[in-house]
Amino acid sequence: MFNIAGKSYAMNVITPVRWYLAWLNKVIFYAALKIPSTLSGLITLSLIHYARWVIIGRNQFPHMAPEQPREQLKYSYMLFFSNFNGSWDQYVDSFTFSIPGGLDMFWKWNVRYSKSVALTPFHRYIQYNQLETQHYYNAYPLAASNDVKSAKTVKAALIAFDQELRKGTDAEFLARYNTLLRGLQHDMGDMYPTPIVSMAAYQLERRHQRHERQLQELKAAASEGGV
Amino acid sequence: MGSNISGSAYALTILSPIRNGVVPGQEIAFADKVRDTLQNWNLLINSPMTKVPQTYLCRYFVLDDVYTQSLPGGSALDTLIDFLPIVPDSLRKWAMPTEDHLQSRYLVFSCNFHGGPNGDVDGYLQGMWNAISSNIREVWGYCYGFEKVHDAASFATYMKQCQLTASLFFVGSNDEPLPEQLKALYLKQEFARFAVANQGLDAATVRANYLAFSQRVKPTDLNGPTWVPGQYRL
Repeated sequence: MFNIAGKSYAMNVITPVRWYLAWLNKVIFYAALKIPSTLSGLITLSLIHYARWVIIGRNQFPHMAPEQPREQLKYSYMLFFSNFNGSWDQYVDSFTFSIPGGLDMFWKWNVRYSKSVALTPFHRYIQYNQLETQHYYNAYPLAASNDVKSAKTVKAALIAFDQELRKGTDAEFLARYNTLLRGLQHDMGDMYPTPIVSMAAYQLERRHQRHERQLQELKAAASEGGV
Repeated sequence: MGSNISGSAYALTILSPIRNGVVPGQEIAFADKVRDTLQNWNLLINSPMTKVPQTYLCRYFVLDDVYTQSLPGGSALDTLIDFLPIVPDSLRKWAMPTEDHLQSRYLVFSCNFHGGPNGDVDGYLQGMWNAISSNIREVWGYCYGFEKVHDAASFATYMKQCQLTASLFFVGSNDEPLPEQLKALYLKQEFARFAVANQGLDAATVRANYLAFSQRVKPTDLNGPTWVPGQYRL
């Protein structure tokens, strides 16, 4: 199981929808797309990098060659893919506690959806329908979603600050520098590799250790080659 | 209805059907071979996807089948039908989830990348082919229809035939080009350290140190110094 890459967790949930009701789900998503305020609850969940919902009609699975057997499905399916920071429990629970109504709206027409409250049946629903990732890549495994967002602010502030670097006296510079720090105080903080929060993270740590050994061996081989 | 584009971020969802049957000369199904290859990527120093420009996050997995939960659901109708003794068996069975199975197993590739406001999926897929075509062949080589792929353009065409449209794509992060994001993360890390190291110093020293810092980190230079894609060590 490789659901974790650095600080991100990859969740895949695939759930059946009665084919004759799938259009209702699409209408709900379309409304959410057109009325951004409906997603304000999601935006408060700042631990999310990216998330998507995809609805596949029962006859819409890709058919790529004549010899490929045609699907004969009874249900349409909804795919949910999310990239978030923190543990599985933290994520699922934060959904339940922050946007239970929105969650129920998105999954409303899915077969045997338990509703997001109470928590235990919802956990069981997600666990049952979740699929494991085989390979997960994250371009910035050291960073949480909030790091990525705050880094954008820091970068813009530093570039603007550098425009006036050589202006005025040292005291005036220090005043501007202190203003810069005050402005960025919510965006500062350095990053470190993720702590171990699950067995998957433990496996990741073992992988890091193995890579460390491989790098050392490569360096040793290179230095021997150089001699 | 639905869109793969949110701002400048693009949600690419690919389901590629994997051939039924076993790899000739090996007692392993094509789908399991794909799974095995993907898992072996985890043993490399870093993912092959580090070489694919503009990739934020992506995942691969093999969809063996679809699953239907038969636990009681939360809707009023489900609950009534499950628990009312007067409901005839035929109606009860009608309301129970039916068993459903796929005819093929699918390679699922879900990717978030910077595609610009118009969602340049062709450019991304061609860049992917140009960067890691041997890795692509390792996994997609067992999929139906992949025999038509022989270059970047045909790979993009094939992938778009396997593509599904997102009903809703939510970007909770940043949709700038990846080099901008990596540079920003590098600057945030370095500036946090600079701020701590220069607390309480006199104005002239802070200014001199900041000038040296700015020259070292080059805030507007995306070529470096910066973080590299997939960097998991400091």
